[in-house]
Amino acid sequence: MSSPILRVESLVKRFGGLVALGGVDLAVEAGEFRAIIGPNGAGKSTFFNAMTGLLRPDSGRVAFEGRDITGEPPHRVARRGVARTFQITSVFPDLSALENVQVALLAHARRSWNLWSRARVLGTERAQELLALVSLATSAAKPAGTLAHGDQKRLELAIALAGEPRLLFLDEPTAGMAAQERLEAIRLVHRVARELGLSCVFTEHDMAVVFAVATRITVMHQGRVLAEGTPAEMRARPEVQQVYLGETA
Amino acid sequence: MKARHAAPLAAAAALLVLPSGLTDFWIFIAIEVLAFALYAVSFNVLLGYCGMLSFGHAAFFGVGGYTAALVIKQSGLPPALAFACLPLAAMFVSAAAALVIGFFSVRRAGIYFAMLTFAFQMLLYTIALKATPLTGGDDGLTGLKPPGILAQPVAYYYFALLMTGASLYVLYRVVSSPFGYTLRAMRANALRVQYLGIDVRAHRLAAFVLSGAFAGLAGAIFALSNGNVFPGWLDWTASATPVVMAVLGGTASFLGPAFGAAVYVVLEVLISGRTEYWSLAMGIIIVILVLLMPEGLTGLWRRGIVRPGARAVPLPTREAR
Repeated sequence: MSSPILRVESLVKRFGGLVALGGVDLAVEAGEFRAIIGPNGAGKSTFFNAMTGLLRPDSGRVAFEGRDITGEPPHRVARRGVARTFQITSVFPDLSALENVQVALLAHARRSWNLWSRARVLGTERAQELLALVSLATSAAKPAGTLAHGDQKRLELAIALAGEPRLLFLDEPTAGMAAQERLEAIRLVHRVARELGLSCVFTEHDMAVVFAVATRITVMHQGRVLAEGTPAEMRARPEVQQVYLGETA
Repeated sequence: MKARHAAPLAAAAALLVLPSGLTDFWIFIAIEVLAFALYAVSFNVLLGYCGMLSFGHAAFFGVGGYTAALVIKQSGLPPALAFACLPLAAMFVSAAAALVIGFFSVRRAGIYFAMLTFAFQMLLYTIALKATPLTGGDDGLTGLKPPGILAQPVAYYYFALLMTGASLYVLYRVVSSPFGYTLRAMRANALRVQYLGIDVRAHRLAAFVLSGAFAGLAGAIFALSNGNVFPGWLDWTASATPVVMAVLGGTASFLGPAFGAAVYVVLEVLISGRTEYWSLAMGIIIVILVLLMPEGLTGLWRRGIVRPGARAVPLPTREAR
């Protein structure tokens, strides 16, 4: 058994008297497509932020590829090969779609300290490839802020992929989409992740989306892991249905 | 020759032949325009590209001016040598000041950043006012002039044009570089940029130091044309000047603030020659311009109202906070 690409041990995060994460454990194997589900306020976003450096956990440990990354700032976590997308679409609205990806490519190539070269012509080929990968090739020149919501989500994926990550966190990748759009969106992520050999961890409210792609499911409730298993196992667990599946089905 | 280079090149050609049509008085004004154009553009590297409103930028213009005065008067070097050292000395000292001020200020964003820069500037103002042996106190440092032939207005004009032109070229390369792209992305969404592996604070500090260095050079250029440096250069009201110039010209274009500086300086001369209430008139004009043209004078150009054309930098968006 290989060691997991991501291992989280007893992660705790408190906000004043509120225990947002009450000792969360998680192990994600390479190549997994892991869904983290749970009702609003279950601590999913806090968990993501504590794993990726935005929040400093009060205790516990996060290890990526066997190396301890607990408490490292986001830019260091990112440089290790971890990418993430956000619940609220986070593209750079006044840059073109192509420039959005170029910025990410330049950052990945450690060229952000280059003060002299003309960035306009750097990395354009690779940026075009990435846009094509998410079916945005024809929108390259458009300011990202003018793209449709679904297109912005796909652009965000291209930005995340530019860093050649080995682990990708997706915080509600289908938020704000219509039902049919959601399945298409997650299938795109799934297909791309397969092609690139990426491991993914994503949060999602739409159970159809979760069951369409997840290899394993972790159910969170009130800052703790309530249950974990394959989609088939989760379907069968009565307490899971009670807490979560029941209320959205 | 690309079309987008046509306007800057035409402007450069006009600036080269400009002194032949001007009296000495207006040549001095032209020098002031050049210095303030550099000041406003350097300021706008922070405002327009990083989304950081420095409300203490007069600190660097003032430090540059005082550095120039001290190099000329106190260094003991022969005048020509002192003058030759002056641009780099002014930039170096301003950059050092910006490194210290920026180290503390870029940790905060928005109004807190503005307040920190403001506070540091007041600190420097007090030093300029009270450290009389060094700075001349309330009287400032007076009787500055460039050596030899450069003391002639026309010659100094070309010196200022060379300095400003070269600096604007450098700054343009910087904002068009991967570093510049990174700044623009940071302005839109600093959180997202962190997750690209970028140390946002370090990049902000670098932009702050760069901006401060060129503001200092602008101060030095103006000090030798003006002949005097006063503590008022570091007063907090002086920090409003580059803000007004940048907004007037348009923060979304690289040369917009330079254009704004020209309009501001010339308006000031024209109005103050006619009424002592020139700041009242200036205030009214600025209110009207900002209300009618929120993207500044260059915003008209870019929107094709004056002339349809390619834009150098995308318009900033309000929702991009």
